[in-house]
Amino acid sequence: MKFHESQAKVTTRLTEKYSKERKLEFDKLNEPVLWAKNCDDVKLLIKQMTLDDQIKVDYLSDLTAYDNQDGEDGDKRFVLVYQLYSLELHTRIRIKCLVDLNETAQSITDLFLGANWLEREVFDMYGIKFAGHPNLRRILMDERFSGHPLRKEYPIKQREPFSDNIKFHLGANPEQVDTHSTSEEK
Amino acid sequence: MASLFNEKDQHQLNDFYNPNVLINLGPSHPAMHGTLRVMCRINGETIEDANCEIGYLHRAIEKLGEEKTYHQWMVYTDRLNYCSALNNNVAYAMAVENVMSISPTERCQYIRVICMELARIIDHIICVAINALDLGAMTVFWLLYHWREEAYTMIESMCGMRLTTTYARIGGMSYDLPDNFTERLWKFCEEFPKALDEVEGLLTSNRIWIDRTKGVGVITKEDALKFSITGPCLRAAGIDNDLRRDRPYLVYPELDFDVVVGSNSDVYDRYLIRLEEMRQSVRILKQCNKKIPNGPLWVNDRRVHIPEKMEVYTKMEVLIHHFKIFMEGIDVPKGEAFTCVEGPNGELGFYVVSRGGPKAWRMRVKSPSFMMFQAFEKTVKGGKIPDAVAHLGSVNIIAGELDR
Repeated sequence: MKFHESQAKVTTRLTEKYSKERKLEFDKLNEPVLWAKNCDDVKLLIKQMTLDDQIKVDYLSDLTAYDNQDGEDGDKRFVLVYQLYSLELHTRIRIKCLVDLNETAQSITDLFLGANWLEREVFDMYGIKFAGHPNLRRILMDERFSGHPLRKEYPIKQREPFSDNIKFHLGANPEQVDTHSTSEEK
Repeated sequence: MASLFNEKDQHQLNDFYNPNVLINLGPSHPAMHGTLRVMCRINGETIEDANCEIGYLHRAIEKLGEEKTYHQWMVYTDRLNYCSALNNNVAYAMAVENVMSISPTERCQYIRVICMELARIIDHIICVAINALDLGAMTVFWLLYHWREEAYTMIESMCGMRLTTTYARIGGMSYDLPDNFTERLWKFCEEFPKALDEVEGLLTSNRIWIDRTKGVGVITKEDALKFSITGPCLRAAGIDNDLRRDRPYLVYPELDFDVVVGSNSDVYDRYLIRLEEMRQSVRILKQCNKKIPNGPLWVNDRRVHIPEKMEVYTKMEVLIHHFKIFMEGIDVPKGEAFTCVEGPNGELGFYVVSRGGPKAWRMRVKSPSFMMFQAFEKTVKGGKIPDAVAHLGSVNIIAGELDR
């Protein structure tokens, strides 16, 4: 099949150019998993890959994280996972990166706008902060919620009821326009 | 120039053109398709700023994926995109099979393709019918929903349930196809396209429909790429991408179908694409109906094969095996896989990380609606409120999949 060939080519390219000082693994579907050196390296790597004419990454399929509490993947607490896709070659690349509890990851919202909500979800669920994110708030849980539910230590049956609704507002930057001055000018 | 209105009326008019008016579309509004909430700052009737608030249907499905065994979690996949539950069942079963390196039997693969295409038809019916209903065309709703009922009755004969099906199992399907299924599916394939023709006659060249949909809710090609939009909405923007053809899974390489691509990326194009995709799905169903082979339904693998009920009741070893599968769960080896299928709404992915044992270490659902609603926040700006309703209906955001 066609995509198997291009996937093989991309794998060769990854081993030749990107796997120096970085760990390259393969998952059960034989798709490449590249471990970035650190959080700053991820953004650099993705930027390089979007410009690379043999890999041609142009699509962010998914951005997520998982808890590495048992330390199987390294000595840091979380693993950030970036699923990249190329619409032209139909190949997938996964970039992983270890993040510690107090470490701040780099936001990739300037490369992919779609990363905005995905990073907010990761922040909501794991508490990983992203530097350079325009609006890093909770997304699925309530704004008053404490704790990060997808961390392994968070009990599944823990409840946090809230009495009433939060105040009505328009996102992080409510644009307030002065009504009276505009109507007088007219 | 003196004002035409007295002071009191002028004040009220100022209220109308007040650029600070916030209105709340949703979360419980018949045109908002589930618990979606969009806060809009409007000026007159133009939306100047919008902010989507999600999480009203958050049920911690990903957390439950780490708490339940692989089989137990199957029922939660029904509740992701509840309009096309079969599609989610099959995608999830495939995801776990990929981690276990199992490939299902050929008959099972054909049944799965039939399931996925039926689910696609149902999902597109809902999207087109509800979109038309929101814009006032009720006849389309009645016409198409009749066929949705037919499809659901067919699904009921397959697995005993209509909406939340839980049909797939890891390594097979819970039941084989019923006896008269081939004739039934054939009848459906013959008659359903006639309803599509009727709908097309009602809408495609209808002046009101064109006025309401053409040039409305445009997502530009660049935005579609940057926001990772998938499925019919991405194809409406002129990007030729369909995982069924580009990264084929199951028996899709053996089937003949066309990928529909639009150009204008508005509500009208998305409607046309969904109509044509339904026809293509009927085409695939017809081929499957002809090609489906006899043979075993279950993969010959003791780890996942759920024994026959009759044998469970009569043989001791089989009873123990059955008990172990359901009480302890199946043992999935260490490893991970990101399995994506082309769902009705776009790329639906399950990222399963296993550290061994009967429960997943991480169960990530990549839902197409999540990416689409994010773009909705941007693309709805500058339009009118009725356009927002048309736009929302055409991208088919399902709250269950959005919030998970």
